Amino acid sequence: MPYRTHHSRSAPFVATCPDCEIERSSDSATELVAFYRRHHRHTGHDIVVTRADLEFSAAVTAALDASDDVAAVVDGLDARYGVDKHDSIESGTDGVPIGIVVAAMSERGFTVGETLEAIAGVRMTGALYEPRDDHLAAF
Amino acid sequence: MPYSMTRWNNGLDEVEQVSADITDETNALPARYFTDPSVHEMEKEKVFGRYWVYAGHANCIPEAGDYFTRTIGDREIIVLRNHDGDIQAFYNVCAHRGSAIVEETPMTDPDNARRIQCPYHLWTYDLDGDLASTPRSFEEARLNPDLEDEDVPDLDADSNSLMDVHSDRIGPFVFVNFAADPMPLAEQAGKLKSELESLPLAEYELAQRIVSEVECNWKVFGGNYSECDHCQANHQDWVTDLELLDSELEVNDYHWVLHYKHREDVDDEMRIHDEHEAQFHYFWPNFTVNMYGTADGYGTYIIDPIDEERFQLVADYYFKDPELTDEEEQFIRTSRQLQEEDFELVERQQRGLKSGAIAQAQLGPNEHTVHKLHRLAQAAYEV
Repeated sequence: MPYRTHHSRSAPFVATCPDCEIERSSDSATELVAFYRRHHRHTGHDIVVTRADLEFSAAVTAALDASDDVAAVVDGLDARYGVDKHDSIESGTDGVPIGIVVAAMSERGFTVGETLEAIAGVRMTGALYEPRDDHLAAF
Repeated sequence: MPYSMTRWNNGLDEVEQVSADITDETNALPARYFTDPSVHEMEKEKVFGRYWVYAGHANCIPEAGDYFTRTIGDREIIVLRNHDGDIQAFYNVCAHRGSAIVEETPMTDPDNARRIQCPYHLWTYDLDGDLASTPRSFEEARLNPDLEDEDVPDLDADSNSLMDVHSDRIGPFVFVNFAADPMPLAEQAGKLKSELESLPLAEYELAQRIVSEVECNWKVFGGNYSECDHCQANHQDWVTDLELLDSELEVNDYHWVLHYKHREDVDDEMRIHDEHEAQFHYFWPNFTVNMYGTADGYGTYIIDPIDEERFQLVADYYFKDPELTDEEEQFIRTSRQLQEEDFELVERQQRGLKSGAIAQAQLGPNEHTVHKLHRLAQAAYEV
């Protein structure tokens, strides 16, 4: 039974360190990524998302069902979670918050560390990029 | 009989500096020092940039080339054991163009390197931090038509070394100091140094690290750790083994000790110190050594700020054998229970402080350890 239950017990996003049995809940999926980074810095431990209240489109569900392709998952999430560039002449969005991608990939059984590693790997191929910090878009 | 009043944010009361006299009503740090983001930024320099801060345990890097990284404020350092067996600390920053060199490497999972090499342009340093080699492109100017090779200055190994960070030890505990000319660690530690060095701390190995995030300012938790007036009401399981009224709070220049006497019938033969008690040492600014008295081992805490209203409690447990016995696992679980009870209290206090009602709290007469913590913080801010 994990120890910490920050914020409200009905927070939409919850993550746990299985080694420390420490739990963190947040209203922000991206905060779970920040939690992972802080926790990993001290321990090297990975973090597991245990609750993520996400709305999946058919495209994301299909992508998640079809493969572990994080670029396809980002592309599918973009319509629902991508941040619009309302004040920009550029098309597209400012990207999907990385925490949302992490939460979606947890549906496939990926830990936070595994997802971040997969994202880094795909970014190095050029298929993903960050229109702004900690937001992802598929190329 | 003097009386004291809490100072509220009511437009009438004023805050003052922490009085040296604990009987004054202004004996505590004003509340904003626990909630203000600018104070958190200030503390990175004035507290964590000037005093000796715990970096880690020497037993985790036993071999030459073993290293771990540690981030203190915004400063990321490499702590490593060199070929002479000494432990040194350097900024994790390349002398070439300032790149971070090694990946974050926690003490719990140290790495080993024969040399430290920056992956960017392959500047390579030996374990003393001296520049050992650079690629040939730094010795000749073949791509620059304005320079001849003989115009390229030599890169001196010593003057292009990694930036050293002052480091020193108390037994196996490694401390670092970022000040240009810091007071000696022995001076900051006072009698803590001789007390810890009289114990066989180096015979124990890190068995478990548990890191919790807590939603309060690091000084709120530091204050809670430093007094036990709250124990009777909030740690009811734990205090059954204690003679709280016979306990003693010992205050020194930069460290204080809580001596919790065990009841006569407590079997504490497993302790590593002589006294029939638990001993909790707080070393300014954010390190504690926990001698539980009922286990053949000890613990340490790093109270590591995240921001003005959150910190990480890095709890390390040391035993003779890093493979925990069932009893030792149960002991850690009991320790975790105590932590959780304290987390409830300190998060509650932070919530109250954050509400803005109180301008300057007040300390009780038996909270002189907390008073010392607040006075040291204020002294640091004033420099």
